Amino acid sequence: MLGALLAVGAFFASYGALSGRELGFLTARNLSLLSTELASSGVLALGMLLVILPGHVDLSAGSAVGLIGALAAMLAIDPSALASHFGLTLIAGPWPAPLAMLVAALVGMLLYAGMGWCVAYQRMPAFIVTLGGLLAFKGLHWQAIANATVPVVRGGHSNTLSALTTFYVPMSYAWIAAGLGFALFAYLSFEKSELWLLKTVVAGQLLALALVVCGRYRGVPLAAVILLAVSAVVFVLCEKTTLGRYLYAIGGNEQAARLAGIEVQRITVTAFVLMGAIAGLSGFLQTSYAGSTTTTIGQLMELDAVAACVIGGASLKGGRGSALGVLFGALIMAVLLNGMTLMAVSPEHKLIARGVILALAVWIDLRLGGAR
Amino acid sequence: MKLAARNLSKRFGAQYALRDVSFEVAPGQVHALCGENGAGKSTLIKVLSGIHSEYEGELLVDDRPQRFTGIRDAERAGIAVIHQELALVPELSAAENIFLGHEPTRFGMIDRARMERESRQLLAQLGSSIDVRTPVRELGVGQAQLIEIARALHKQARVLILDEPTAALSEREVTALFAVLKAMTGVSLVYVSHRLREVFALADQITVLRDGRSILSMPARETDERALVRHMVGRPIENVFPSREVELGEIALRVSELNVGRLSDIELEVRAGEVLGVGGLVGAGRSELLLHLFGAWGTRRGGHVTLNGAPYDVATPARSIARGLVLVNEDRKQQGLVLEQTVGFNFTLSSLREFARLGVIDAQREQERQQLLSERVQLRPPDLDRAVSALSGGNQQKVVLGRALASRPRVLLLDEPTRGVDVGARAEIYALIAELCAQGMAVVLVTSELPELIGLADRIVMMVDGQVGGTFTRAEATEEALLAAALRRAS
Repeated sequence: MLGALLAVGAFFASYGALSGRELGFLTARNLSLLSTELASSGVLALGMLLVILPGHVDLSAGSAVGLIGALAAMLAIDPSALASHFGLTLIAGPWPAPLAMLVAALVGMLLYAGMGWCVAYQRMPAFIVTLGGLLAFKGLHWQAIANATVPVVRGGHSNTLSALTTFYVPMSYAWIAAGLGFALFAYLSFEKSELWLLKTVVAGQLLALALVVCGRYRGVPLAAVILLAVSAVVFVLCEKTTLGRYLYAIGGNEQAARLAGIEVQRITVTAFVLMGAIAGLSGFLQTSYAGSTTTTIGQLMELDAVAACVIGGASLKGGRGSALGVLFGALIMAVLLNGMTLMAVSPEHKLIARGVILALAVWIDLRLGGAR
Repeated sequence: MKLAARNLSKRFGAQYALRDVSFEVAPGQVHALCGENGAGKSTLIKVLSGIHSEYEGELLVDDRPQRFTGIRDAERAGIAVIHQELALVPELSAAENIFLGHEPTRFGMIDRARMERESRQLLAQLGSSIDVRTPVRELGVGQAQLIEIARALHKQARVLILDEPTAALSEREVTALFAVLKAMTGVSLVYVSHRLREVFALADQITVLRDGRSILSMPARETDERALVRHMVGRPIENVFPSREVELGEIALRVSELNVGRLSDIELEVRAGEVLGVGGLVGAGRSELLLHLFGAWGTRRGGHVTLNGAPYDVATPARSIARGLVLVNEDRKQQGLVLEQTVGFNFTLSSLREFARLGVIDAQREQERQQLLSERVQLRPPDLDRAVSALSGGNQQKVVLGRALASRPRVLLLDEPTRGVDVGARAEIYALIAELCAQGMAVVLVTSELPELIGLADRIVMMVDGQVGGTFTRAEATEEALLAAALRRAS
């Protein structure tokens, strides 16, 4: 993680010096957009962590994002067309967006349960199973939209799906909610120490700063709230629950975990199903942000998610990694993309930079880890 | 070639694995190395073959001092080892394995014809006509062993060290191997085996190791099995075992007519408060028995298990732990611990549900339990946040024991609980076992150390080749009697 910071810092310093242009990075509008952009990739990376912890990987995540997002959009716009694309007949008007999202997410969880079953019970390598998923889900996605562009909502209107990335929580509500949330956090984490006091005060100030920045644009983006909520859930899952503990144990030493009485197979399938739900949520956010579903939605997002995990300190062998680290890794990837966009870096150079940064961050981490 | 060790000592930390060992293999001689588990045979082999290059004393090859700095070094001097676990690549052919790393080339390409021709010649010398193009995975263990020997000959080995070569062989394969070994000329053999009959069938000279020292070296014809066993054991049993007076309770675990894998017709029972010792050679099927009872190995062909009075026939580790049958398995690093995690993490891994409500762990209650466990097994230092990988063998074993106790077992299966554990921690583990029994726990103890069996167990079952080869009460159990039972080959 330290390695990632250094690498990104060096990158921006050199780029900033070379271009000499004003970055425009720290404007309220840009930060607000950035947080919306970060939401879908950050959520996906957090889900990826749940699969990486027990020592697996999900290469199908990007395709699943596209597919589940497309299913939700199609159901919310024109379920009959969706059915006809799969050779079925269904006569129904547009579904309410929440229902469409729920059904799409359930389909995603079912597909992931299938992949989890292959990995856990048939002992097929996750790399292969999810590589198959990558291809198959992409095909299903294209079939679902018949290779067309389908908007998430009829022009000029809005629904729950479009609101995911366009709704801003008004500041008065945001302050109240943040205040209550912070008080709860402080209460739950309370311990009698100066360090705690210091940490809490700093966290409170950061939160207040974020709110002030948001207040200067339109309010707190709903997408940012969702990311925060998913982070909190994954954090609690990893640190405080039996499921999380078992994921670390399985990744650390699967044989030992099994002999310690952990039902390795069931837990593995559970991790995949959770990943399915999270890929769905990420799909809704990503599709909503794009405003419509097209064949390229979700493309390469699985690799950004894996990169975020690795930059955040997770081990691809399993057993190591944390929700906060992954959130941080996702933030770095998003900042990088956003920064390069602001600096008008061409897409081909963006790809190269992402690849180099990933390799560099991991290399520095290994060096530092070896010295320890 | 003449190979000799003079006053060889090898230390691991403060513990001597070898102390002042002297030993000489004459040219063309078959020299047997005998000793109990832990007597120092493997360490000696590792020094001779260049794996351990840090030691005190001298190694002489043809009377010239030598110090090998690696396996290649020893190989160049003409010393080759054939380990118990064969080092062959299963997917490659016999010829490719024989020439692995020394492939003959022609114009930069592997000269397959020459490789196969020479392999055939080498194998013919050993009286074998294996098709050298067969992948090794399709060969039996006995044939695979011949390939290893052929590989050693190809590297011009003049001293061949065989470590328990017959452990996995059938009677017929053993006979065939012996014919090959006897017919070999110009090569000295160092032969390590538990099986004394084989030693006498093959060896010219016998050296006995005990507790890391060379006790004696003499021509094979001047001694017999009985005398040899006495020399191998011949140590007063240290008084580290707690004395126990226990009233036995109900039958906690009963196994009848169990048939699974190589195990056949296993019968045993253990009562609350009792320690049932299970002895036998490595490979006799002891660990498999425990793993099977726990639900982690093998599909049963027949037989029944009764646990605390109720039938218990479809076992999984999770179910076993829930019903109070807990295993501490022999390989704590590979199969026991999550090494990169902390002591606390490992302590409560099996009993986590006790501290959780709706899947959320009550950190405070969990920590209290971890503290109790650390006191119970006398972890030193009692640091719950330390990574298990940083602990000594004794402390690691205590963590595994603690984890087992955390799930409140009624029957505890212990597989080699003191392997790689220093003397001090050993005594503490013994005391803990005694204390657990006094509280009414039933213990099944598998160990390769005869003193441990005799010192701890109320009854002892010796396993031979997957069968119960003899049952002893505490009064009947002497090291000589147990060793004799273990060495008896079921035929």
